Amino acid sequence: MPLEFRNISKSYGRTRAIDALDLTVEAGSFTVVCGEPKAGKSVLFRLLVGLEHPDSGQILLGGRDIANDPPARRPVGYVPQSFALYPHLTVAQNMAYPLTLARFARDEIARRVDRTAGILSITHLLKKTPDQLSGGEKQRVAVARGLLKDAEIFVLDDPLVGLDYKLRERLMDELKGLRHELKATFLYATADSLEALSMAQHLAVLDRGRIVQAAPPSEVYHLPATARALELIGFPRANLVPGRLAAGQLTAGPLRFAADGAGEVVVGLRPEHLRLGDGADARVTLVENLGGEAVVYLDMQGQALTAAMPLLDTAPPEIDAMVGVTVDPAEVCLFDATSGARISSIALRKAGTHG
Amino acid sequence: MSRLREPLYYAALWLISLFFFAPIGWIVLSSFKTRSDILATPPKLFFAPSLDNYRALFAKSEIFGQIFNSVFLSLGAVIVAVLVSFLAAFCFSRLKPRGTDFLMFLLLSIRMLPGPAVILPVYLMYAAFGWKDNHLALLLFYAMFSIPFSVWILKGFLDGVSTRYDETGLVNGGSWFHVIFKVVLPQVRPGLIAAFIFNLIFVWNEYLFNFLIGGVKTQNIPYALMVGTYSEGGLNWTFISAMTSIYMVVPIAFIFAFQKYLLVGMTFGTVRGEV
Repeated sequence: MPLEFRNISKSYGRTRAIDALDLTVEAGSFTVVCGEPKAGKSVLFRLLVGLEHPDSGQILLGGRDIANDPPARRPVGYVPQSFALYPHLTVAQNMAYPLTLARFARDEIARRVDRTAGILSITHLLKKTPDQLSGGEKQRVAVARGLLKDAEIFVLDDPLVGLDYKLRERLMDELKGLRHELKATFLYATADSLEALSMAQHLAVLDRGRIVQAAPPSEVYHLPATARALELIGFPRANLVPGRLAAGQLTAGPLRFAADGAGEVVVGLRPEHLRLGDGADARVTLVENLGGEAVVYLDMQGQALTAAMPLLDTAPPEIDAMVGVTVDPAEVCLFDATSGARISSIALRKAGTHG
Repeated sequence: MSRLREPLYYAALWLISLFFFAPIGWIVLSSFKTRSDILATPPKLFFAPSLDNYRALFAKSEIFGQIFNSVFLSLGAVIVAVLVSFLAAFCFSRLKPRGTDFLMFLLLSIRMLPGPAVILPVYLMYAAFGWKDNHLALLLFYAMFSIPFSVWILKGFLDGVSTRYDETGLVNGGSWFHVIFKVVLPQVRPGLIAAFIFNLIFVWNEYLFNFLIGGVKTQNIPYALMVGTYSEGGLNWTFISAMTSIYMVVPIAFIFAFQKYLLVGMTFGTVRGEV
């Protein structure tokens, strides 16, 4: 069933956690909600699950407003950020919990628990109690319990947070597998934009209680709708430089492009679009060598910029070295300085050329 | 040096224990002695034990009623108190009604007054209601007196149980009833036991109110001890020793079995230690 958040608002005291939010989730899709901590991801999910009620707005599931239904009546499975495994139950009982509550037959419960345990490779843990498990194992049991509910929508609130890198990778793969297996609608929250890009079928970027863009991940990455979307998705963070359009020229700090139009704008540039070469355009202030690539922090005439360069057969530059910087105008994103919305009507050209 | 220290340490502990257990040992031994053996100087450590004192004790028909009253009143009152307190503490811990801190303080303030300070109003109230010498009425009083402590202990424990557990229960289709009794209750079992033991000892030892607002039908063991002490001309040592020995069995057994929970009770659940 398709899910739609329509004009949802939720405040705590004076803080607006969710601010007139609209989001449509297609049936059977895997939608990742990505945003910084406190952007409102958990609140959004708690509203959907029924642990909070919106101040205004509707949550439509298959066309019916469920915003004020009690949680027990919603066909939503939930994996909370904290594991909240019951210490007095075994792993198997914890996993079976949603099914036991729904009064499934015992052999049916056993069958489903075994199958899910197999997928998440926790079969060997079934007889243990939660206090005997490691953090990653607990997390997988919590995921399993959430997914075992007989639900149409599964909500996973940052289930991989706090896990070590290797475990994250593995669980990410397992979750991708599960999503094909269960053929249900998934909503997944994360603060990690790389995790979001790698998992999402559909990516919703959440910022201060609002969705700034909801689109397939490649579209969000290459055609960010707003400056915030560009900034929030992708690592290292994109460069945003305030600039000014006037007299056929765009001036943004040290960057110059030929362009028509007039007004204040923001120039957005992904780090990998700053190409480093010979020259003396900028001074290197810091280098982070990640092995396959290096993140190079630059000072270009007083403007701090971040560049990412692949390390195929080149060594990263030394700190304090001078490097040349070239930018392909086609890869630059222009945003309105006040609204932050993307401006697609203005074409940039190399400085000094005329179109 | 340290080799010596440990045996010395234990020797000191044993000495202190003996010092404190001596009166208990004396009364238990006395219960198997004849009257003249009890009063002998110097005290007899070796004597021919007899069960005569117990026989004489159980020959009195009222003794069974008194033991029953003690068990019924303490168990009943404490079960009622713990159940009510658990629900109250759940409400304070989860729903946090306005003025929770003040209400908690108010609850505790009931226990700040010594019992004798409220004798008069309680007596007048019970007399006016016609509740004197009534099992249920007395049970209600003891339950009332046990509730504040239990609420404090249980709230401490409930605050330690994350509300995420409640939420998981609700999301997976559980009712509030399910959440309270199947999800949260099993996790505060140590607190329930602590509240249970602590109040059980209190009610078991209670004499004053049993004497005042109770009556012939509701006499408990402390009441029986008090009345029976000066019978048959002078102090009735054989009765005292036998009755006291029986009287002590219940608290000693409970404390022995649940001693770690006792610390929890004495510290209002703030020190949880191993439990």
